[in-house]
Amino acid sequence: MGGQSVLGFVIRTFIVLIPVSFGVVLVMMVNLPVSVTGGLIPAPQLVLAPIYFWALVRPDLMPPIAALGLGLLEDLLSGGAPGVWGGGFLAAYAFSERQQDSLAGLSGSGAVLGFAAAMFIAAGTAYALAALAYWQWPPAAPVLLQSAVTVAFYPLLAAIMNRLHRRFIGPRRED
Amino acid sequence: MVSNGWRLSRGRGAGAAQLPLAICAVVAIVIVLLGKAEASIFDHARAKISDWVAPILEQVRDPLAGIERWVGGIGTFFSVYEENLRLKRENAELKRWQNAALTLERRIERYELLLHAVANSELPSISARVIGQSSHPFVKTMILNAGTAQGVKSGQAVVDDRGLIGRIYLAGQRSSWVILLTDLNSRIPVVITPSNHRAILAGDNTPAPELQIHELGGKVKAGDRVMSSGDGGLLPPDLPVGLVVADGDELRVALFSNADAADFVHVLDYKAPVEPPPGAAAAELPATRQFTSGDIVDAPAPGQPEPMTSPNALTGPAPLPRLSPGMAAANTPQRPRTPVDEDVTPSDE
Repeated sequence: MGGQSVLGFVIRTFIVLIPVSFGVVLVMMVNLPVSVTGGLIPAPQLVLAPIYFWALVRPDLMPPIAALGLGLLEDLLSGGAPGVWGGGFLAAYAFSERQQDSLAGLSGSGAVLGFAAAMFIAAGTAYALAALAYWQWPPAAPVLLQSAVTVAFYPLLAAIMNRLHRRFIGPRRED
Repeated sequence: MVSNGWRLSRGRGAGAAQLPLAICAVVAIVIVLLGKAEASIFDHARAKISDWVAPILEQVRDPLAGIERWVGGIGTFFSVYEENLRLKRENAELKRWQNAALTLERRIERYELLLHAVANSELPSISARVIGQSSHPFVKTMILNAGTAQGVKSGQAVVDDRGLIGRIYLAGQRSSWVILLTDLNSRIPVVITPSNHRAILAGDNTPAPELQIHELGGKVKAGDRVMSSGDGGLLPPDLPVGLVVADGDELRVALFSNADAADFVHVLDYKAPVEPPPGAAAAELPATRQFTSGDIVDAPAPGQPEPMTSPNALTGPAPLPRLSPGMAAANTPQRPRTPVDEDVTPSDE
């Protein structure tokens, strides 16, 4: 009986950690030392996808502090100014949280457009924070390009996150 | 729960996370400001994280690099013939330049022999592998698998086989971070040849950094060669950087190095020669106020030329930098010792 409860606790902990762990894996992936395009296209900001997805479906598993933490990890691993993407992801999180009713019901291309809006809010905030941190305006084109590439990856990531969510996580009990 | 592809179900009611969100937003802004004011806190964390993930990155790199090469090779597959012809032409041109370089090398050796100059020796360097690279909109950095344990220190120049890539800005124990020349925060002093104009090479996250020339009326033109000047003593002088290219009204530099393709790089262990502080005038020295400047310098021996009284001759023993022979040769202009030198250099006794 006691062993079962310990096993249950371990399984529950594993499930609770899936969204954030998935985000950590994506942060590591985008900071790998390879670029298929030879550096022409900036690495996509894939970690925004799990933040956006689980902020809508299970915000209890992706709280704001997790979004901030993932952004900070991204900043530290990419060598950027600390807090830039942390702030960007929080802005996207706030957008998702405020527009939850309308965004959660979207499907297909509508869902991609919803994510695109979140991505551009995150990128705009990160751009402003980077300008504050570096005390100069960074070029805007790479940020826009990165946002577009990130949005292009969203359908693939959403399919993976859907599977993970249905297979392991599921809705909250009170939903 | 989830239907029709990416349709999402509702979570808890909107607005439930507003308070923690506001707190986190404040924390994010504080982190940005703190990162600007006290960067060392985050640099320390960054060094720890990179030390921790370095073995993982090294393991993951090889298979991914294979995929990268394979994907990159697809584009060149259809242009192998043209590429081969281009390489043959380039090879012929390079052989011509090799002969010219060998001739010049021999000539320089003769001149150095005539001038009793000590030949420049290679800077000691540490070879390191690139295990991480950031191609993000705001930063252009690189992670190496060598850190303080291997002798890497902040500020050291990083070069590939073709030229300067950047400099170390953070060294962990087993890994280090390189700020690339293309990074928004990169500023290095350079010299443009043949005009010998000094300039600042300023990265702006574009592939060709901007050239900021302070001297007006210069005749810098596209195709001129850009090298590190060594000003400030941070980077060694004469490292090849790139060629000047015109971009509208401004000048940029097409870099020789290719950071995206870099696999192994060299971290140069350079120490700038220590310059003695400017000496006080003879009249300001308490012990020498009562003498005239001519009294301090030894009288010339019969038959020897009259020694010149230079400001250095009057300031007493200037501390000489302790440099390895190679460093001394690389960084200090060499000239034969003169009787004046003998006169003003105090003995250890």
